[in-house]
Amino acid sequence: MTRPRTETPAARLAQLAAPAAPALRRASALSVLAALIWPVQAALVAAALGGLVTSSGLSLPPLWAALGFVALAGLRAGLDGVAQAAAQRTARDLVAATRARLLTAACLQRVGGGALSPAELAALVAEKAATLGPWASRYAPAMARTRWVPLVFLALAATQSWAAAVILLIAGPLIPLFMALVGMAAETASRQQMAEIGALNRLAIDRIAAITDLRLLGAGARARADLARASDDLRTRTMAVLRIAFLSSTVLELFSALGVALVAVFVGFSLLGEIGFGTWGGQMTPVQGIFLLMIAPEFFQPLRDLAAAWHDRAAALAVASELTEAEAAMARSGTILGTGAPGLPLPAAPLSWQGLRIAPGPGAPARAFPDGHVAPGEAVALTGPSGVGKTTLLAALAGLIRADAGQIRWGDTVLDDTSAKAIRAGLAWVPQSPRFPDAPLAEAITLGQPGDLGAALAAARAQAIVATLPDGLQTRLGDLGGGVSGGEARRLALARAYLVRPHLVLADEPTADLDAVTAQAVTEGLLALRAQGAALLIATHDPALIAALDRDIPLSAEDMA
Amino acid sequence: MNPLWRLALRLTRAEPRAFGRGLALSALVLVMGAALLGLSGWFVTAAAAAGIAGIGVGFDFFRPSAGVRFLALGRSAARYGERLLTHDATLRALAALRGALLGGIARLPHEAQARLRGARALNRLTADVDALDGLMLRLVLPALAALGTHLAAFVALWLLVAPGVAGAVLAIYALGGGAVLWATARAAHPPAEAAETALQSLRAQSLDLLRTRADLTLAGALLAARDRAMGQAETDRAARATLDRIDRAGASASALTTSLAAAAALGVGGQLAMAGTISPARAAIGFFTALALGETLGLLRRGLAELGRMQAASARVLALADTPAVPEPATAPMPLPGPLLQVSRLTYHRAGAECAVFGPLDLTLNRGETVLLSGPSGAGKSTALACIAGLLPPSTGQIAMQGHPLGDWPEADLRAALTLVPQRPALIGGTVAQNLALALPEGAALDPDAAWAVLRAVDLEDAIRARGGLQMALGEGGSGLSGGQSKRLALARAMLRRPAVLILDEPTEGLDPATAAATLAGIRAALSDSGLLIVSHRAADLPFAHRHLALEHGT
Repeated sequence: MTRPRTETPAARLAQLAAPAAPALRRASALSVLAALIWPVQAALVAAALGGLVTSSGLSLPPLWAALGFVALAGLRAGLDGVAQAAAQRTARDLVAATRARLLTAACLQRVGGGALSPAELAALVAEKAATLGPWASRYAPAMARTRWVPLVFLALAATQSWAAAVILLIAGPLIPLFMALVGMAAETASRQQMAEIGALNRLAIDRIAAITDLRLLGAGARARADLARASDDLRTRTMAVLRIAFLSSTVLELFSALGVALVAVFVGFSLLGEIGFGTWGGQMTPVQGIFLLMIAPEFFQPLRDLAAAWHDRAAALAVASELTEAEAAMARSGTILGTGAPGLPLPAAPLSWQGLRIAPGPGAPARAFPDGHVAPGEAVALTGPSGVGKTTLLAALAGLIRADAGQIRWGDTVLDDTSAKAIRAGLAWVPQSPRFPDAPLAEAITLGQPGDLGAALAAARAQAIVATLPDGLQTRLGDLGGGVSGGEARRLALARAYLVRPHLVLADEPTADLDAVTAQAVTEGLLALRAQGAALLIATHDPALIAALDRDIPLSAEDMA
Repeated sequence: MNPLWRLALRLTRAEPRAFGRGLALSALVLVMGAALLGLSGWFVTAAAAAGIAGIGVGFDFFRPSAGVRFLALGRSAARYGERLLTHDATLRALAALRGALLGGIARLPHEAQARLRGARALNRLTADVDALDGLMLRLVLPALAALGTHLAAFVALWLLVAPGVAGAVLAIYALGGGAVLWATARAAHPPAEAAETALQSLRAQSLDLLRTRADLTLAGALLAARDRAMGQAETDRAARATLDRIDRAGASASALTTSLAAAAALGVGGQLAMAGTISPARAAIGFFTALALGETLGLLRRGLAELGRMQAASARVLALADTPAVPEPATAPMPLPGPLLQVSRLTYHRAGAECAVFGPLDLTLNRGETVLLSGPSGAGKSTALACIAGLLPPSTGQIAMQGHPLGDWPEADLRAALTLVPQRPALIGGTVAQNLALALPEGAALDPDAAWAVLRAVDLEDAIRARGGLQMALGEGGSGLSGGQSKRLALARAMLRRPAVLILDEPTEGLDPATAAATLAGIRAALSDSGLLIVSHRAADLPFAHRHLALEHGT
């Protein structure tokens, strides 16, 4: 799914919203229809007020007109409500579908060298995807009304008086040009305003994130003074931008007010007989005059709605570009094997690999890896200089990266999309920097897998970590501020490995950067796993750890070109 | 009092005159809009009547038509002025609020601050502060301007049309508008809170999912975790559906209120005109004015849509900004000779935990001395330092600085004498000079020579010079420097304070051995009279220390 780089943000947004387009068109049509009830209401009022002035011609008792006016208003509100409900539902569906697509693609990306950082993707999934909602629910119907309603009202005005129509045409008009001018300026204004206010808020948040350091430096008052000064600078700049930007909305305001004023003056003068042109023969009647006056403000209303929703469009356009690029980048990066669903483990068997060629990152040239195997119960070190591909090989063996060539087998079963979940069910994974989800510690360790957590913590020498936590296994690490240290995290990851009683443990540099005491504890934890019957394959530089294992699979850069 | 109102009052008090002028102009815009349509309606109807009566020649068309044009132009000008004034005042008032928020957070206990620094809490706080941008602009000012406009319209309609019309229009708008505001304020808070919580959870769970997806895949739990995140998206969708329904109900009710008011003006005014009590043109004023007053409700719509979110945010922001002051001694005690720092039988026990984090710890630090504290990962070294630096209250034991318990020192004097550089020190967005200046007393300017001297001491001079010197700009959180460089910049910053006691948590972590040695030597040489307490687990740092203490897990 590659797209040309020249695509405009508008085209990308249209493409993203394509599934929602029919529903949005229906909602927009209803919204236009609701707006078109107004001329009927205007005619009722014109007949009533006109009837008060003159008994000749069309006339309607004011009470009947008022009742009719309210009834039509009810119909209009009802239709508009249905239109909005449809647009809002479509908007929510669009956001939900976009989130589901993004999350699914993001989870299935290959491990290592992801296209976007988890934080960027999470922001896209959460608040950025949400900006598509207001665009669909507010901007799209407002755009449809702007296309159709002024045209219809102009035609209606023209049937009564060509001169009034000309006034509207001059005041409101050249609609596309006018809209583009106002739109561009409004877009700049709202973007600037949002960006600057956002910058102000980030300034404050940046200092809140540093609050402990500020306290330790006795810099609380100074930081507040700095913040006030920075806020003032930003405010001055923002106001300079807004002074120009607000001109555009003032122009819109001015044109709509002038349009109404000119129609009123023209109609008044026509009715007085001061102006003898502008109608299709004969003098203008009071009913015609009042009708025209009522049409005028509503002629401009869609434009004003559109200007109010312009920011929604600007925000959605920016996000559409980001979303499309993220999806394209994820499509290029490659995926894991299988779907990450739970599976039943296969019986213990040797893990072997032959003829592997693996790209260490998306788009990087593939490297050849020497063949190897790990027998059940065996403890093997994977050694070699940094960057030679130890982590890449471990990830490929776990089905987290697709090999470009070669075969990985568990006994006789070839690792592929179908067998991945069963093979993985017999594996445990101890990464170099284990991360834990923000959940109670028990759940963060087990990830929902059954087993004896107490025994696992004991085997991994991790009970002492839990004992100092405020709520023991129910503590959320995120609430501790700093979380756990690197050595503690690895011991907790070992406990997770112990829990599932794996046939094979894949561990990546488990003792790197640890103090001697902690490194010893981690090594003991790994050996406890082996004592439990698991085979070990450990990427490591640590001579003490290598010495504790049965043999060594060395990787060297020369062999792998 | 309702937190939203308290916050609105607080913002108003920050800029009372600017908000007052902005409010007056907002009301003027609305009044002129209503007057424009009312006058136009009167002019057209009166002209029609005059034309039919054949007295069109004597009709004074000059003043009404000039009035119409004046209102059209004046309204646009007033709108422009109103927007400038209210935006300027809002930006100023929000700046004051952010300052108060920072001040309030600074008064929180250390543990609460640590929780706030987490990504999740910071995101929430950002969302809260963002939510309040629109409080004055889109809710309070339009609501007050609407109130003023309706009162003005009531007087005008009473005098120009008829008391009955004036009363009907005011009553319908008051009931309708009031009901919309009341119902939205009542109904929108829970779903807005639910939507915001779901959005934050969606972000947090997506982040967890993507960070831990290798582990989740191996555990066969990837799909389940993805579905949990999607469950948050569904919760968000459901809450937004409720908010959308409230929004639609408000919009429909507003539209119907306007139509009812206009219809009432038409019906009542029309009856009076038919009875000959008032002229048809006066009846037209009533109808067109009532119609134009609909704008007062339209302006509130965006504000109403954000009302629930603002309610939730204002309570939290106010609670933080109003954190009470911490009592502290008024005067600093006289430093006594003897050790700089004397720690005895110190332990720290997290509330509810089975075991103490560390200890008991005994420690003495003298002038010019370097003491190394080591212990295995997770032995509670950082927690011990937080206690010694007066951030955490110890569970048992005493800490005395220059002969007096920490509690006898006012905060400012304690910080002047004792500085801790945490394991992961925080920098702020801005220049290197601004980051260094945080160490100086408020208002003091950074002396470039002193700045370069401390940067040289931590072996950072060349790296900073190569990238623009002291004016080198750092991104948010000090991004732009490597981990080791950020740490050394924080060390340099602490050195500028020349504290009697300097406590360093893993100062050499992530540095290569040569840089680590140069940095420690530089600090020692520059602060020859200070006591240094250093936490490290690197054997290479040992030779720097006069004494070495090992910290054990607590029991």
